[in-house]
Amino acid sequence: MEFPDTGIAVTLSTAQGAVRRVSIRSGRLVRAAALFAGRTPAQVLTLLPTVFSLCGTAQALTGLTAMETAAGLTATPATRQARRILVLAETIAEHGLTLCRDWPPLLGEAPDLDAARRWKQDFGAIRPLLYPDGDALSPGGGRLAPDRAALLRTAAAGRDLLDHVLGAPADSVLADAAAFAGWLKRAPGACARLLAEAGWPCPLGTPTPMPPAGPADLDLRLRTDRNGDYLARPDSAGIVCETGAFARRAGHPLVAALNGFAAQARLTARLVDMAAALRELAGLVQDLTGQPAGPVSLTDGTGLATTEAARGLLAHRVSLEGGRVSDYRILAPTEWNFHPDGPLARTLAGLTADAGLERRAVLLVNAFDPCVPCRVTVE
Amino acid sequence: MCLALPSLVTELLPDDQAKVELGGVAKTVSLALVSDVAVGDYVIVHVGYALTRVDPAEAARTLALWDEMQAAGAPA
Repeated sequence: MEFPDTGIAVTLSTAQGAVRRVSIRSGRLVRAAALFAGRTPAQVLTLLPTVFSLCGTAQALTGLTAMETAAGLTATPATRQARRILVLAETIAEHGLTLCRDWPPLLGEAPDLDAARRWKQDFGAIRPLLYPDGDALSPGGGRLAPDRAALLRTAAAGRDLLDHVLGAPADSVLADAAAFAGWLKRAPGACARLLAEAGWPCPLGTPTPMPPAGPADLDLRLRTDRNGDYLARPDSAGIVCETGAFARRAGHPLVAALNGFAAQARLTARLVDMAAALRELAGLVQDLTGQPAGPVSLTDGTGLATTEAARGLLAHRVSLEGGRVSDYRILAPTEWNFHPDGPLARTLAGLTADAGLERRAVLLVNAFDPCVPCRVTVE
Repeated sequence: MCLALPSLVTELLPDDQAKVELGGVAKTVSLALVSDVAVGDYVIVHVGYALTRVDPAEAARTLALWDEMQAAGAPA
């Protein structure tokens, strides 16, 4: 047993002032879910939230939904609403960690670990506020007894913390391009300084945002993926979609106005995504009702489920036979964005090879938000 | 996927750091993002930070299950 840390290596080969070749190599264990074969659904649901360090909630809920689908079950509207709240909270915590822990060091500044801890602890711990019995991962949904007041307090604290981190009210900073430009100019904190630096003209190429429930051929491709090629390098009819905050918020006026600034648009989309997630979470909590646990048992079958997790589309496909997993496949968002011919690779290929290349490549890699460490080399 | 296994906290160090161990390999990580961690606790580690504290019984269950799965089939 060892630390299963795996990373991504990006290498840019340059010649005559241009990037000639982009190589993205990933050591990620994309077929690890195959190890679930022979386990019971309960065992898999114990492992999922623990072994996936960043997106454990999205992983566990996607797995649970795939198992319910395999059994022909559909969760009630209240359960689906509660699960959406859990995924939004994880998304907010993940973005918050990135903003406060990871962005300042990109500028050579100390991370804001107090704020990072608040994102992680406030939003990483809302499960008991929805499911006090700790049965959020029960098939059919556990006993939902939302503490609406505490959940709304968490959402309000999140909005205040985002304003604090941005050094200005998020709603006004993200309102339109003029307000955003004014904020960059005032640069009241590390976020604004990083976004200002990321504002160099960089064509987006032709990004293809991921369809909301994933590509139409997702189930077929997962089912027929004999040796894990699709899990490692997915595409849809030859196109490698982009997934994550930028794809979700591409239609937001500010994100759209930053067209032509690949790094800045994506980093800004993270802020837009956070503000939107905080609003959606509060709205969902307002009219969430409690309900008793649904005593439901899983049956054999095959099910596919997708979730828009913090970094984008997460897909689980599970087959159950004789009460045990016979096949399990997980396709994670990083495999799309960091595909060797994917959106990051296409954007890096357009960079000018000058003294600032490595720095711009590092900012772009961070803009595409990998879920594992990513090393950049220029040669 | 960002796989991580629970690591055992073996020593608390100054400046919110701790020594953790997993399968005989030791690492120093930051405890800045978690509260009330003591020697003997398990934490999930990602890029040098302990992200969450895991209940020792749950950690033991996870590690045993993972061992069993690794013995049953090699990961890809």
